[in-house]
Amino acid sequence: METVSTAAGRAAVRAPRSILHHKALRTLMYHLVVAGLGYVMLYPILWLFAGSFKGRAEIWTNVSSLIPQQFTLENYINGWRGFGGITFTTFYLNSFFYAGVGTLLAVAASAVVAYGFARINFTGRRFWFACMLSTLMLPVQVQIIPQYIVFSQLGWINTFYPLLLPRFGGQAFFIFMIMQFIRGIPRDLDEAAEMDGCGKGGVFFRIILPQITPALITAAIFSFYWTWEDFLSPLIYLNAPRLYTVSLALRAFADPSGTTDWGAIFAMSSLSLVPVFVIFILFQRFLVEGISTTGLKG
Amino acid sequence: MRHKFWLIWAVLTTIALLFAACAPATPAAAPAAGQPGVDQPAAGADGKIELRIAWWGSQNRHDRTIAVIEQFEQLHPNIDIVYEFAGWGDYWTLMSTQAAGGNLADIMQQDYARLEEWVSRGLLAPLDDFVADGTLNFANVSESSLAGGRLDGKLYGVNLGTNSMTVVIDADRLAEAGMETPNPEWTFDEFERVATELHEKLGIYGFTGNLTNEQLWKNIYLSLGQWVYNEDGTGLGYEDDQPFIDYLKMVKRLQDAGVTQSREQEIAAGGSVETDLIVTGQSAMTYVWSNQIVALTSAAGEGRNFILLPMPRPAGGASANYLKPSMFFSITSQARHPKEAAMFIDFFTNNVEANKVLMAERGVPVSSEVRSALEPLLDAPQKMMFDYIASIESSVSPIPPPDAPGHADLINNVYWPLVIDPFMFGQQSAEDAVRILREEAGVVLAAAAAR
Amino acid sequence: MSEALSVSSSARPTGDRRPRPVKPHKKRWRHDNWTGYLFISPWLIAFFAFTFIPIIASLVLAFTNYDVLSPTWRWVGLENFERMFTRDPRYIKSLQATFFYAFTAIPLRLIFALAVAMLLNTNRRMVAGYRAAYYAPSIVGGSVAVAVMWREIFGRDGLINAVLGTDVAWLGNPSTAIWTLILLAVWQFGSPMLIFLAGLKQIPREFYEAAAIDGANGWQQFWRITLPLLTPIIFFNLVMQLISGFMVFTQAFVITGGAPLDTTLFYALYIYQRAFVSLQMGYASAMAWVLLIIIAVLTALVFRSSSYWVFYSAQED
Repeated sequence: METVSTAAGRAAVRAPRSILHHKALRTLMYHLVVAGLGYVMLYPILWLFAGSFKGRAEIWTNVSSLIPQQFTLENYINGWRGFGGITFTTFYLNSFFYAGVGTLLAVAASAVVAYGFARINFTGRRFWFACMLSTLMLPVQVQIIPQYIVFSQLGWINTFYPLLLPRFGGQAFFIFMIMQFIRGIPRDLDEAAEMDGCGKGGVFFRIILPQITPALITAAIFSFYWTWEDFLSPLIYLNAPRLYTVSLALRAFADPSGTTDWGAIFAMSSLSLVPVFVIFILFQRFLVEGISTTGLKG
Repeated sequence: MRHKFWLIWAVLTTIALLFAACAPATPAAAPAAGQPGVDQPAAGADGKIELRIAWWGSQNRHDRTIAVIEQFEQLHPNIDIVYEFAGWGDYWTLMSTQAAGGNLADIMQQDYARLEEWVSRGLLAPLDDFVADGTLNFANVSESSLAGGRLDGKLYGVNLGTNSMTVVIDADRLAEAGMETPNPEWTFDEFERVATELHEKLGIYGFTGNLTNEQLWKNIYLSLGQWVYNEDGTGLGYEDDQPFIDYLKMVKRLQDAGVTQSREQEIAAGGSVETDLIVTGQSAMTYVWSNQIVALTSAAGEGRNFILLPMPRPAGGASANYLKPSMFFSITSQARHPKEAAMFIDFFTNNVEANKVLMAERGVPVSSEVRSALEPLLDAPQKMMFDYIASIESSVSPIPPPDAPGHADLINNVYWPLVIDPFMFGQQSAEDAVRILREEAGVVLAAAAAR
Repeated sequence: MSEALSVSSSARPTGDRRPRPVKPHKKRWRHDNWTGYLFISPWLIAFFAFTFIPIIASLVLAFTNYDVLSPTWRWVGLENFERMFTRDPRYIKSLQATFFYAFTAIPLRLIFALAVAMLLNTNRRMVAGYRAAYYAPSIVGGSVAVAVMWREIFGRDGLINAVLGTDVAWLGNPSTAIWTLILLAVWQFGSPMLIFLAGLKQIPREFYEAAAIDGANGWQQFWRITLPLLTPIIFFNLVMQLISGFMVFTQAFVITGGAPLDTTLFYALYIYQRAFVSLQMGYASAMAWVLLIIIAVLTALVFRSSSYWVFYSAQED
């Protein structure tokens, strides 16, 4: 805990009292600790990647090694082939569509709803908020069947409607998260803007949105990943293999009672991490730069 | 200010709506035009019949099955086949959901352990009419291969391949220990002696383990001419608990002596064939279903030699093996085109070209004509599987009736958590374990049968 | 959880001295029903269109013997609830496993996430790379590959036994199995970490500069600025981790399946098994509603406590 707070404090303050050679030592310590822990964090993923380059005969006989005896791309080729001529190209396009549109909808709608809950006082606010939070507490396992019956009555099986339309209402997790960030912003700013003639909508766009950018970026990163990873809704609603997403296709490789091509599973699982990782890398830059501090002066 | 906000909100909403509306028309999703919506007419605008098929499996099976579907479509240009597939666990989640929604495919792959459950709910249609009118031609199929799909005298599933359990022995390890191949009619006593000797001589596991699997419980009573469930599926079908008690005690002895993996290690290792200890040479024997030989030998790599033996039996018993249908194709009662579905199943069973594509991936084909056509094309592991089934065919015990409707519930909620695990972890005696099994089975099975 | 609570409440006495951007409002918060409902209308519409019916249906089914495959069901009154608490030993075990998991994994995960977020909230070189490395475990999720990976790492020839020089079947031993799942949860701490990071970014730098002029050291700054201003985010993470901790499913589903001896039989996993393996959807629905009540009560307690330890820049009345 000590290193934690001092590191953060020092970075934020650039305290003048620190002694120079101490500073170099501390920097070294910091990198040693953080990089060491980082390796531990990454080890299982490295293991997965290593497995994806091992040949069929080696994958279970040379399990613990991080270096394949014989480097092969066979797993990637076999895996990408997919099933009966429908390749992972299709699955990736589907996943990108689902995760991309799903994220856009969820984050945009959540921000609007969160503003309503956090900044506007209306009758029933607490009640509806409690309702919203409760929807997170009922396990999805018992909602699948009634939901399926509703959507199949609507004729929406094998379309993306059941997956995307509910997101127009935002998602409770993000709504609550963004609310918490909005509540961290002093209300003076809103009121000043309202005095200047801004409506609630204007306040939302002009004052609130710039302030909660880190929260929106965070929400986008999560939403993309959770949607990318989601297999249950695609399993239930996207029955035609041409509509399968990557996460669903990955699960069609394993058959405990028959043959399982573990190499292909490792390869395609490793590959499926890439888009999520890229999204994170791209978005976290905004997180670092953080536009937040500027708005608070005055 | 206010109207500007609403303008932007409206624009965003419209964009999002457009996106969603375009969903089925995006490049990736375009081919979904012929989607099987529930309220759509059965035949498409072009007069084509749309047939839906669902199965579980892995890549190999998906590829082969889809290729056969394409063959069938070429022969029947008026039939358009829409298919869905998933891994084992997902498959049943999906099928249960579809059944509840009244939206099942025309043909679904079925499992021996679930057949009665589905038939008792009226979800599968009898196939006898199609057999009678010749749509399903079983001229080359023996009655014993079909028997597993019959319930109350009606045929509800067509066997897609024959399977049986087998003990796999690492021949090189056996030779290393200087031991002879055991007699195929070996008893549990001989089995225990061989496994122990292999362990003592080689310092590795004599047998991988998993001996408490419910399949082996079934095998014991099958060998004694009984069955674990009674006829109406309301309780256990045998009176004498002693054979199972003796068996459990043997398994515990083997575990405690380190001849097999402990239950702890079994759980930690998981149940995949590819990770069996025999693959890495850490064990001298294991058991698998005969179709899994292919996966096992492929994971073990080149230059390995395996011997297949039937399952051991209790002293004085008959064969502990039976020929099990690996899986079925069934026509659901929600099917829209049962006739065409039957045509497809017939094609799948009898067509030699189709089976050259399938290559016995679901087990040894039931049609004798198909079997002899495939014989020259088999690779070594497949040949082992064929030879094994042929070698036990004449001596196996008759196939038991399908599992009781409460089977899955019993195994999941009683057999493992209340009977086997507490026993193997030393928390209860074999006698207590077996007593609990009998008591709870009465409750659970009766409740399921009463539905 | 208790850690987070005590930490912040001990920060409270110093609350007066910490720099605050604004004085609390004493003005009444203006009422505006029309705009309020307009802003939450997307959620309201989606709720009634898509979520409401399945929720009510599951509530009704909780009092029936619905079995998924049969189109009909029978009203059984409170039988499902009675069976749960009196005749189902596995249910009690699932409660034990879930509570144990929730009360160990949640605090560990939150503390770890906060610690790492603070470590990474600097402008040092390479920090972007570190951040990615620490977030990476959280994106491997609960796929089939994770199950195999975790099995191998904790397997007999796996990393853990190699490092510790032991020969333990970590996932098969009734006293260690749940800890491997807790460790997995802590390892995948990326989402609370990221939320903490975003929260730290939102704390205006001026506060720290002012504090430094006052001569506060790093430690004091943590207690007087960082922690109090982060309480809304800590509160959010606590509530969300509480909810998701009690609903934990995927890890046990793909790795242990509840074994050994039901020590990892998490509540949601048991619901799934009853619903889709045993096909007792009525019973599963009843269990789900009991879980909802458990989580709701705990969440309400956290909300109640929040007025003592969560500080918002904008006061509400």
